[in-house]
Amino acid sequence: MDRGLVGLCIEAACRSSESVEKWRRQRRSLERLPSQLADALLRRLLARRLLFPSLLEVFKHSAEEIYLRGENSVNAEWMAYLGAFRNLRSLNVADCHKVTSSALWAMTGMTSLKELDLSRCLKVTDAGIRHVTSISTLEKLCISETSLSVDGIPLLSSLKNLSVLDLGGLPVTDQALYSLQVLTKLQYLDLWGSKVSNNGTAVLQKFSKLSFLNIAWTNITELPNLSSIECLNMSNCTINTILEGDGGKAPLTKLILSGATFINEAEALLYCETSFLSFLDVSNSSLQRFCFLPLMKALKHLDLSSSAMRDDLVENVACIGADLRYLNLSNTRVSSAGVEILTGHVPNLEILSLSCTPVDDIAVLSISKLPSVKVVDLSNTNVKGFIRQVGAEPDSVLSLEALESLKHLEKLKMEQTRVRDDALKPLSSFQELRDLSLRSTFLTDVSLHYLSSLPKLINLSFRDAVLTDSGLISFNPSATLKLLDLRGCWLLTRDAILSFCRNYPQIEVRHELAHIIPKDKFGSSRPSPSRSTSRTLWVNQQQGNIPISSYFEDQRLKYSREELLALQYSSLYLVSPLDRGITTSQEELN
Amino acid sequence: MKKEDMVKLISSEGFEFVIDKDAAMVSQTIYNMLTSPGSFSETQHGEVTFPEISTTILEKICKYFYWHLQFASGKETEFHIEPELTLELLMAANYLHT
Repeated sequence: MDRGLVGLCIEAACRSSESVEKWRRQRRSLERLPSQLADALLRRLLARRLLFPSLLEVFKHSAEEIYLRGENSVNAEWMAYLGAFRNLRSLNVADCHKVTSSALWAMTGMTSLKELDLSRCLKVTDAGIRHVTSISTLEKLCISETSLSVDGIPLLSSLKNLSVLDLGGLPVTDQALYSLQVLTKLQYLDLWGSKVSNNGTAVLQKFSKLSFLNIAWTNITELPNLSSIECLNMSNCTINTILEGDGGKAPLTKLILSGATFINEAEALLYCETSFLSFLDVSNSSLQRFCFLPLMKALKHLDLSSSAMRDDLVENVACIGADLRYLNLSNTRVSSAGVEILTGHVPNLEILSLSCTPVDDIAVLSISKLPSVKVVDLSNTNVKGFIRQVGAEPDSVLSLEALESLKHLEKLKMEQTRVRDDALKPLSSFQELRDLSLRSTFLTDVSLHYLSSLPKLINLSFRDAVLTDSGLISFNPSATLKLLDLRGCWLLTRDAILSFCRNYPQIEVRHELAHIIPKDKFGSSRPSPSRSTSRTLWVNQQQGNIPISSYFEDQRLKYSREELLALQYSSLYLVSPLDRGITTSQEELN
Repeated sequence: MKKEDMVKLISSEGFEFVIDKDAAMVSQTIYNMLTSPGSFSETQHGEVTFPEISTTILEKICKYFYWHLQFASGKETEFHIEPELTLELLMAANYLHT
């Protein structure tokens, strides 16, 4: 919330139910309240859990936009009040499971409503949609995954002003889609998971302004030419041809074919104009040869994860790399040799994912030659952090040192690799790093100590490591650090974590023994219904009560070396690296 | 204190508040009125009338201007707002862009 007077007033108005009572009687003021203030006040009341149906009444002249998504309390009573909002332009009650068909009766004949989101309101049926169709002003309607039947779909044809229609997960048949052809203003149509087949696709050509179409998870194999389409999603479809037919070529910019099976790879995209395409997702698809890639000169975002991409095909990516910003090669067979092919061809690449690939430290050297890289994911790879050089002195070089040349590197993910403490030493000079994820049973206090010197670090994940209490206490994070994820660091004790939190109250710490969210963040963030905060509250209260005892000495008394070793064998972790970790900790403790 | 450094803010009931120009300029609206080129009467006389803002609210707003200056200079105190005033003050603050 901003510190301006407007923000302070909204904060003061939503301080408690008593303060709400004091201002809610000012009927005249509420009528004159400009809509953006009314909407902001409503949002804050909702976040503070101070909103209840009869309080809605006072906003009926002023509110224009109401967002109640996922609010479990929203029921027929709420809808009865909302139905009387004469200036309401947009209402979102998605995921409100108590909104039933009969509750929607209250909305009959609303005069200003343009946008309505009922997604996943499971109790909304054909009867509910009958009420909605009386709102002739509607331009945007989202009813995906409601309980609408195939007979309810044709009712929508009376909403002639619709430009956005989301029917995802509904049993829309060819016949039902045919009945919607009068909706000629449609620009956005979502039909994922519907029963539309190749026979029904001709109707889509009637929507002359259609620019977005989602037909993922359908049985459509041949999509006729739709000359205005810009964004097409055919994920998980079996694809024969796309946009084949007469007429102007569609100005496609975004194509999502994730999980698609191609009958004939060479012909599938033959009819598409792909030279303007900037976004392509073919992850998990059945593509084998990627022969169409060299034509896509304008690509910025390319997702090839879990596909058959391999080293000898990387050339197809390199030749269109000039504009590429995002490249996902995770879960492919691309190795270090493939990454090397990319160097020099992707001058603008910012995000590169190589997780779950067989790349090793040679790839790290190649990555260091990509000048614009900001985000790198090397999780679950063979990266060890050093390269052995035969005959050289010393006989191994630290590969991560090479990444120092990347002046823009902000985020580095290296979970589940075989990198050890000494190989991480170069990380301590990564001045721009904001986000770092490490997760390995090989890492100890030493690694965390290296990270103390990262000046801009905001999020640090240091999981499953052999981190001791003394290692955590001696960790001196930068002032920018907001989140420290220590899950799986099984040696840490609750006392040590709480003591760390007391020293650095601005840091959110995650661990199995305590999840502590900073108080200021806790107060202003919108408590979501799905995230239980009771435990956090408890921890916060506890935090104050813990006496500032000598946790340090406590540790020494608590475990003998023998006990620590016993603990070690009782866990599932690897044995060898832990020995070193524990020795280190013991030395430091004594 | 020189006269040029002060401005006069007048409420709907005609009450006059004379405050520092620096404080009043916390409001983007007043800032624009006082600095806009051309000869608005506000610019010339250093007087602004608010027919929509009552005396109680204008007084609170003047207090806020000074609080804001203090806050910006590092003195972190809380600015208390009586619940009864929140709505009127909210609308006035919105109008004044503060």
